[in-house]
Formats: sequence, C-alpha cells, structure tokens
Amino acid sequence: MSLAAVTGFRTWQPRGEGPWAWLAAGSVALSLLLLAGLLTLIAVRGLGHFWPASVSLVELDDGQVFAGRAVRELPLPAADGAGGARERLYFTGNRDLDGHVWQWVAVARITASELPRELVVLERSRHGDFIGRLVEVVTAGQQGTSVGEGGRGGGDGGGTATWTTLQERLSAVDALRAERDELQQRVIPPLVRRLENDPGDRATQRRLAETNERIRGLQESMQTDAAVLESVDGRRIVLTLDEVLRSWRPNAMSLPEKLGAWGRGVGRFLSEGPRAANTAGGVWPAIFGTVLMVMLMSLLVAPFGVLAAVYLNEVAHQGRLTNWVRIAVRNLAGVPSIVYGVFGLGVFVYGIGGSIDEWFFSDELPSPTFGTGGLLWASLTLALLTLPVVIVATEEGLVRIPDHQREGALALGATRLEMLTRVVLPMAVPAMLTGMILAVARAAGEVAPLMLVGVAKLAPQVPMDGEFPFLHLERKFMHLGYHVYDTAFHGDDIQAAMPVVYATALLLVLVVVVLNLTAIFLRHYVRARHGALSRH
Amino acid sequence: MIKPLSAAPSTRSPRRHLLDRLATGLIVAGGIGVILAVLAIGAFLAIEVVPALFSGALSQAQITLSLSPLAWGTLKAAFWALVFAVPMALGAAIHSSVYMSPRLRSRVKPTLELMEALPGVVIGFVAGLVLAPWVERHLTGAFALLLVMPLGILMAGGVWRLMSPALRQRLPLAWAGLWLVPWLGMLGLASLELAPWLEAWLFAGDLRGWLDTELGIDYASRNALIVGLAMGFAVMPSVYALAEDALSGVPSSLGEGAQAMGATRWQTLWKVVLPAAAPGVFAAVMIGAGRAVGETMIVLMVSGNAAVMSLSPLEGMRSMAAGIAIELPEAVPGSDSYQLLILAALLLFLFTFLVNTLAEVVRSRLRRRYRRLGDVS
Amino acid sequence: MTRALPWRLPRWRRSLLVSLVGLVLVLVQPDPQAQISLRADIPTGTLGTVGSDTLAGLMLRWGEQLTHRYPGVRLQLQASGSASAPPALTAGTTRLGPMSRPMTDEEREAFMARRGYPPLEVEVARDALVVVVHRHHPLEALSLDALDAIFSRTRRCGAEHAIERWEQLGLDVPTRRIELHGRNLASGSYGLFRQRALCDGQYRRRLNEHPGSAAVVAAVSESLDAIGYAGLNHLTPGIKALALVESGGTAHTPDAESVRQGAYPLGRSLYLYLNLPPDEALPAPERAFLDLVLSPQGQRTVTELGFVALPEETLSRQRRELGLSP
Repeated sequence: MSLAAVTGFRTWQPRGEGPWAWLAAGSVALSLLLLAGLLTLIAVRGLGHFWPASVSLVELDDGQVFAGRAVRELPLPAADGAGGARERLYFTGNRDLDGHVWQWVAVARITASELPRELVVLERSRHGDFIGRLVEVVTAGQQGTSVGEGGRGGGDGGGTATWTTLQERLSAVDALRAERDELQQRVIPPLVRRLENDPGDRATQRRLAETNERIRGLQESMQTDAAVLESVDGRRIVLTLDEVLRSWRPNAMSLPEKLGAWGRGVGRFLSEGPRAANTAGGVWPAIFGTVLMVMLMSLLVAPFGVLAAVYLNEVAHQGRLTNWVRIAVRNLAGVPSIVYGVFGLGVFVYGIGGSIDEWFFSDELPSPTFGTGGLLWASLTLALLTLPVVIVATEEGLVRIPDHQREGALALGATRLEMLTRVVLPMAVPAMLTGMILAVARAAGEVAPLMLVGVAKLAPQVPMDGEFPFLHLERKFMHLGYHVYDTAFHGDDIQAAMPVVYATALLLVLVVVVLNLTAIFLRHYVRARHGALSRH
Repeated sequence: MIKPLSAAPSTRSPRRHLLDRLATGLIVAGGIGVILAVLAIGAFLAIEVVPALFSGALSQAQITLSLSPLAWGTLKAAFWALVFAVPMALGAAIHSSVYMSPRLRSRVKPTLELMEALPGVVIGFVAGLVLAPWVERHLTGAFALLLVMPLGILMAGGVWRLMSPALRQRLPLAWAGLWLVPWLGMLGLASLELAPWLEAWLFAGDLRGWLDTELGIDYASRNALIVGLAMGFAVMPSVYALAEDALSGVPSSLGEGAQAMGATRWQTLWKVVLPAAAPGVFAAVMIGAGRAVGETMIVLMVSGNAAVMSLSPLEGMRSMAAGIAIELPEAVPGSDSYQLLILAALLLFLFTFLVNTLAEVVRSRLRRRYRRLGDVS
Repeated sequence: MTRALPWRLPRWRRSLLVSLVGLVLVLVQPDPQAQISLRADIPTGTLGTVGSDTLAGLMLRWGEQLTHRYPGVRLQLQASGSASAPPALTAGTTRLGPMSRPMTDEEREAFMARRGYPPLEVEVARDALVVVVHRHHPLEALSLDALDAIFSRTRRCGAEHAIERWEQLGLDVPTRRIELHGRNLASGSYGLFRQRALCDGQYRRRLNEHPGSAAVVAAVSESLDAIGYAGLNHLTPGIKALALVESGGTAHTPDAESVRQGAYPLGRSLYLYLNLPPDEALPAPERAFLDLVLSPQGQRTVTELGFVALPEETLSRQRRELGLSP
C-alpha cells in the first residue's frame, strides 16, 4: 500500500510539501522528458531518412550553380563573419563529376534558390547518387536518335516524355536484373557444388557454361540503353541503364507519391543487404543475424537456466551454501558484459574452438573453422551472460508456488519427478517465459561481448541458407547493434552514414522495446495469477 | 524444501521410483554443472592472470603504468554517471512511492523499466555523435540547462502555492511527474534561446575562452560530463527500480504513525521512511555503481578514450571496459598486453562482484527487518 | 533404462525430442563451403579477413565485385585495426590480413616462429594520412616540426617547445587549447603517424584515441579547436586537409600525384598479407581475389573510394610474381 493512497486527502491542503518534494517530482518529469526526447530524435531522424526530400537549385553570388538537398544548417563561427550568420550543408551527389558529394555554403552567399520540377535524382550502383537534369534516353534500336528532349530551361512537356521513356526502360532493365540475380544466386551455386564433388560431370559443366552464357547475355542486354544526363552547371555524362538502381523527381512528386516512396524505402531498408560500404541499402543480414543469434541463445539458455533454477529451489539442500550460491548467481547478472566477452574469447574461441579445429578440421588449418569468432561462440557467450537472468526469474516463479501444492502432489503418491513435471513446472511457465524474454531483450541489445566473439562488419552470406547443413554455426554474422557502432565509427563518410545509423538504431530500439513490453505484460499476468493462488 | 517421504508408499512402482532417482540425479548434475559453468568465469580470469603475476612476467611498474589511467578513467566515468543518476533516481523513487497517484505510477514504472532496456550502443551513438558536438556549440546553453532545470522545478512549486485552490486541484502534486514535462520543456527551450545573450553579457561571448583564461579550465569536447550524462541516463532506471522497491516496501504502519502525529509527507519520508529503507537505497546505488563501472559501449563511443588522469569533469578519460573492447581482439594470446587486459577484466569482475554481493547482503537483511517491523504492527 | 524416458512421453513430445536430437546432429556438421575448392579454375569458398579498418571500405567493394564475378566466393570482413591482422594470421584465425602499414619485424618473426615461412606480402593501393582541421580554421599548412610539437610529448623530431595552444602558431584565433584526435593503438594509422610524424616518440596523453577514422573526422568537423589525422579517403567538406611543410621549406599537399610518387611525407602503402606455405600454389578463392584487386577494375575501385591507385609498373611486377596472367 503506498503512502500516497493512504494520505491522498492531504493534497488539497494549503500547506505545501516544501521544495524537496517538488524536486522529487521534477526528477520524474525530467527523466520522462529525456526519454521522450531521445526516442523522438531517433524516430524522426531514422524515419526521415526514407523521405524523398526536395532538391533545390541554388545560385551563389559568384555565379556558381549547383543542385542539392539541404541537410543541416549551423551558425558560422564568429571569426568568419558577423554574429547570426549561418551556413548550410547540401548533399549534391555527382561524386564522379565533383569528387565529393557535400557542399557547405554560407547562407548569405545564396542569391537564388528554387525547386525546378525537372530535376532528377538517380541512385546508381557506382559513384552514389546523381542529381541533375535528364537530357535524353538512347535505346539500342535508335542509336543516336533522341527519344525525347528534356531541355534545360525547357518546360515540363518534353521533360515528362523523356522521363516516361526512362521509367519504361528502367523497369525493363529491372526485370533483366532480377532474372540475372536469380540465376547468379539460385542456379549457379548448386552447380558449382556439384562440380566440386564430381569434377568430371559433363552435364553439369555444360549447364554451368550455358548459365554463364545466359548471364552474360542478360548483362549485355541491360547495357544497351543509356541515359544522357547533365548536371545543373552543364556537364554531361552518359550512363548505361544497368547502373541506375532507382530514379525519382522529388520536386514533381505529390504527397501521396512521396508517401508511397517513403513506404517502399522502409521496405527496402528491411529487406535488402547493405551497399556502398554500409552507407546505403538495407540491414536485412543484420536483422537476420540478430534474430538467429538470439534464437540460438534461447535454445541454449532455456533448458539450462530452468535446470539450474529447479536444482537450486527444489532439489538442493536449503542450507547456507545454497544461499551463497544463489547470491553468487544473482550477482553474475551484474557482472559487466565485456567480462563475459573476454571469457568467451579465451575459453570458447581460443580454447574449445582451437581444439575442435585441431581434432576435426586439421586439414583446414591454418584457416580456422571454429577457432575464430562465430555464430556458435557468440550465442554461447550470450547464453552464459543471460543465464543468471533466467535462473533468477524462474526461481522467483518457483518460490511463489505455495508449498501446499507440492505437498498435495506428494501426498497423492507422486514421485518428485512427477510433482515437478505435472504440478510445479507448469505453474512456473509464465515466470520462465518472463525470464526468457528479459534474457532475449538483454541479448538483443548487447554489443560489447560480440565485438570479441564473432560479429562481422559485413557477412553477405547469412549463416543460414539452402546448403547442407543449412545452419552454419562457425560463420560470422552481422548484428544490428554492432552495425550501429561500426557504421558510425568505421564508415568512410560519416555524414552519409548518419541516417542509416539512426534508422538502424530505431529498429534495434523497437525490437528491444517490443520484447520488454511482452515481458512486462507476462510478469503482470504471473503476479495476478499467483496473487490469486496464494490466497487459497 | 519439501522432500518425498523416504519410505515410498506401496503404490509407487519400482520403475517410477528409479526414474525419479534418475531424474533427480540429472537435475543435480545439470544444475551443479550450469552453476559451475557460470562461476567458471572468475576462475578462468584468475587462471589466465595469476601465474603471470607471480612469475613476474608482469612487473609491478608495467601494471601501474598501463592500468592506472584505465582504473582512474573507469572510476571517474562511474562517479559522474552516479552524480547524474543518483539524485534523479532517488528523486523519482521518492516521488513515485510517496506522492504519485497510483494510476500514474502504474504507467510510469514500466516506462522507466523500458528506459533501462535501451541498448547502450544507441545511447552511446546519440551522446557521442549528436549530444557532444551540440554541447560544444551550445556550451552556455548546456550549462544554463543544468542550472535552470532544478530552479525551474522549484519555481513551479512556488507558483503552485500561489495558485487558486481550483487550479491547484487541477494540477495536483500527485500528477506533477506528468504536467511538469511541458513546463520543463518550455523552460529548456527558453533558456537555450537566452543563452547566447547571457554568454555575450557575462563571458564576452566566449564561455570557453573565459573558462580557459579566467579559471584555467580546459574544455575537451569528449568529456566526463557528457559520459556521465549518457551513462547516468542508462544507469538511472535500475537505481530507480531498486530504490522504489525499498521505499514502497517499508511497512505502511510506520508512515501512518508519523502522519497521525501531524508530520507532512516529506517529514514522514525524511525522518521515518528513508531511515528504514536506507540500506535498500544504498544497495540500489551500489548496483548502479556496478553497472556504471562495467558499461562498455557508452564510454567507448563518448569518452574519446584519452588516457589522461585529471580531476576535471570537462576532460576525457579511458575506461577499462572500453580498453578491453578496443584492444583485446588485437592482442596476441599470451602476450603482455593480452594479460594486462585480462587483468583489467579480472579487476572489473571482482569489483562488480563484490559491490553486488554487498548490495545483495544488505538487501536480504533489509527484507528480514521489514518482516519484523511488519510483525510488530 | 535410459529409454524409459521417451517411452513415457506422449507422442508429440517424443517426436519433438527426436527432432531436437536431429537438430543438434545437424548443427555440429561443418560447412562444406569453407573447404577450398578441389578444382582450381572454379573458385568457391569463403574468404575470411581480419585486419585494417582503413581498408575495410575497399575490401567491402572488392568483396562485392568478387561475388559478382564468381557467385561461389564470399568475403567476410572483420575490421578492427591493422595490428589485429598479424596475430590472426599467426594464430591461423584468418587467411587474408589487410594492413594499412607493413608488418613490423617482431610481427614477422612471430609469424615465422610459428609457421616456419614468411607471410606473403601484396601491395594493393597507396594512401596517405592527412592532417585535418575544421573547415573554418585559418591554418593552411603546418611544418613537420610543429606537427610533432603538437602531437608528441617527447618531441623526438627536434622541436624546442611544445605547442599546446593555437596562438603559439601565430594564428589569429580565439586563444584555445589544441584538442588532439587520433586513432587507437591497434590501427595502422596510429603506428604510422607515430613513426613518421613523431619520429617514434610518444603521443601526448591528452590524445583522444578514436576506434575509427570516421569518428576522428566527425570530432574534428564539429570543433574549431581540434586537429586530427585520418586516411585520405575520409576527407569530407566538413574538414580541411593541411599541407605539410618539410624543414627545407617545400610544402606538400596531400593530392593523388604526390602520394603516388611518394613525395608526401605521410604517404603509405596498403597491403594484403597471406598465409601461404612457400611450396603451395595460391588457393582458388585467394587467387581470384588478388586477380581482381590487381586488375584495372580493382584499381578503379581504389580511386573511386578516394585512395591512390598503384603505378602501372608495380601492378605488373606483382602480377608476375604471383603468377597471375599479365
């Protein structure tokens, strides 16, 4: 019973509670404010990344013209000008033309800034984005003939026609690309493996050669069309359409179109692999790696955690020693995760993994199989890290079960095993689940030990695939949390990586929050149920 | 625990009996095995390091030279984290156990528990790459915020006393945790707006220069204050949860007695409830300290990892956990640096283990005391 | 008697148990892909690499292109710093070690002691460490002496006075302490900068040691007081690269030409180290990878990412030595 409820009637009394009570109230408000602020920041920046922002055509006082997306604005240092002057950062793309993709401009130098509808943004497989105008689309049949003139100062008419042609051509190229990827990823690997096992297999060799030929053919037909592009300051480039991944005209898009593009962007982020050294593309392998690692960890931690809890609470002699062991296990939940990482590196990777390699994979040495960080060792380390959580939660559930339930079972002639499996454990299931979910939530957000035992910057090959034995425990894997750290600290271009980092962080927070909410809900349910039980 | 009767009733078949024995044996073996595996961590660290310590492979001077900045940095980071976390956590715990309306409390508690689950890498990223540069640009604003927040809260209290009773009932203290949020948000924005003028007026437009020339304080953009703020944010929820448990676990008869004699709720809390719950609150702070000492990603991403040993909260530091995370994957097993890092891990392990044991012992004593106090009433 | 347990379980639990056992059996199977291809001309397998984070972006791109060329080959990357490559190669936890500096004698000896032969060294690109300040900083060039006096506490290169504040350089800036940003101990940049700019002296203790170059650039681009060093490819418009002035008075800007010719004082080569016994041929995946890296396409990627491509004669010499088609 809280005091507030007992003494609630005092709230209206004129006498205040003094400054300290207000400071106490303020600290609740402050922590809520901080939490809300942090979550809003991550959510806004993370989700904003996918919004097709407008591209402005900027003219400076010295006549320089460029097109770009305004990214941020900062006050200029006082030494450079009068107070209050600001500068703005534009993302200008066109790395192949300019050598860089960003431009800082003092706001005072901008003489004109407009949003022409005909500006296009192309996402390319090399050199990053292109921002500029579309001049014409050249197709194979009509070499040299323009299909439509986009014109520089031109109105919307011709530009739209060219734009439509480009879209048609691009969707054709996309279909070809999908076919090629399908061949490369699904058809070729099994053929290669079959050849590995039986190098003399003529039929397979022929099929491999045929497939390679088809891929080459597809590749060639993807390169037949080209787009002639022009940057806003008049430099032209010709781009074969196989290099264009996506294209849009942000200034000509309506709100529903932008919303649609935003949704597709989110979808791609969740389903694609990273590109351009992790600064673009999606995080699918990281999501997959995180989930798989956590699932493996749960498989390991659940039986052992319950076993230890049952032993401590139901079987062991409840003496001083058991009590000390209990306290020790509880305290291990507070040992820093990095220490578990050190243990995992020393014992699992160097110790057990090294020995496994020497015994079973000696023909592979010096290239290690298990003697390096990998999925198995990471799951084991995290399982060890979360064992105390599961043990404590399960024990809590076991303690809450009234003794007369056990006595009743035994009095009816059950053995201890029967009492445990039929009466005690079923009643403790929600507590075990709570423990498991808390463990999973902790493991999903833990990064430090993974840095020691097997997370990789890029593991394009997820640890699970169609090849026997389907799950490759010795492989390295990607992880959402590590992805945040790595992209933010090891990337090439921090400015370009920031939105991806925000989006990944948002995803990680969402995963952890959902898991925790489930645990909180379950615990509530447990307490309610056992509260009812103990009243018997 | 309850044991089955040793003389088995005749209804039990020998097979069931054997099965039971077998299962019990399995549970014992498995349970002990798991517990030993968990406890093996300490043993492993000790086995790796202790021989090197005694054989003299690691000299005293070497250890002091390389580990003392790390140990200093670890304690400094943890200290500043606690400076932020403890007042906030205790304040929140007091408010939610004494004043807060039960309905709000049932919402706020899980929210703060969620805050505990925020991954360190996310907090570290925001603090290191967003907050630190922002604070560097708005140094005056940041200091102003630190000052304005407590003052603003007190001001809210003062204004509240002057309000009409009707308005006061609309905005009761029991819901202050909620309605103070927009007030503090507004105050924060206002103080950020005013900060540049304040800086121009008081410090000639350059607070950093003023700090440097007048006080001789150097400001590093990656400093202990920001680490403390970020880590305090991470540690605060766990301190809060434990302290709240301790405070609301105090038998209500004690507080009721004091209030019956005319004490305000704050007096009751300060004179009666807090002394009774003091060991629990202490344990909460200890566990918070344990977490702050071992937190890796936040320090790694925010602190700048400069191995300086300074007292100034405006300078950086390097912590043991961050040192291990950066350097250990590169260290050759068996080399000096490897063993030094393992030694650092052992120190971390021992420190957190001791601190947590202390807290646990205190808490179990406290639980017994509450039971006794509860019996008296 | 142990069979008694499954017998007593209901059917679904029994099948669950069996499938669990099956799962465990499946799990411990090794990965056939990790084995090197039997046929030399169809490279398949996974290339694990541990090493420099400077080379990480480049390795990633090469990895993408390699998979594009040979669908059966994958690259796994762990980028934690150049110093992590030699121990990993020596211990055998990796086959390829990208490094942003040459191996030191101790590292080479440790490898020799364990393996009995030296590691294979391949130069893959050129790079330079660039000294950077905030984009609005008035400084344009810095002498090597001053650089040492700023970063070092031992001043082995001969500077007389330590430089701790910007005004000591005679600049018209607010009087501020210089904030130092650099890399962590394990990175090749840390060692190289120490060797070339500090004359093997000691860094100041106040140096912020960041675990990645991107973090150095982020820190410097946010603070007018900061100076730091990062790889050439990390330059962004938020920061400004300083020209370095030798004691003779010649200034070197960190551009591609001066780096390629080795004139820029903090230039360096980027290497790949391989663990290859001398009597063995290059395994197919490694061969395919090196073939790509030393091809015009691979070197184009080098330039695209902001590094400096190898001179033509170095390329062809290395291709010859490795037995790759010219």
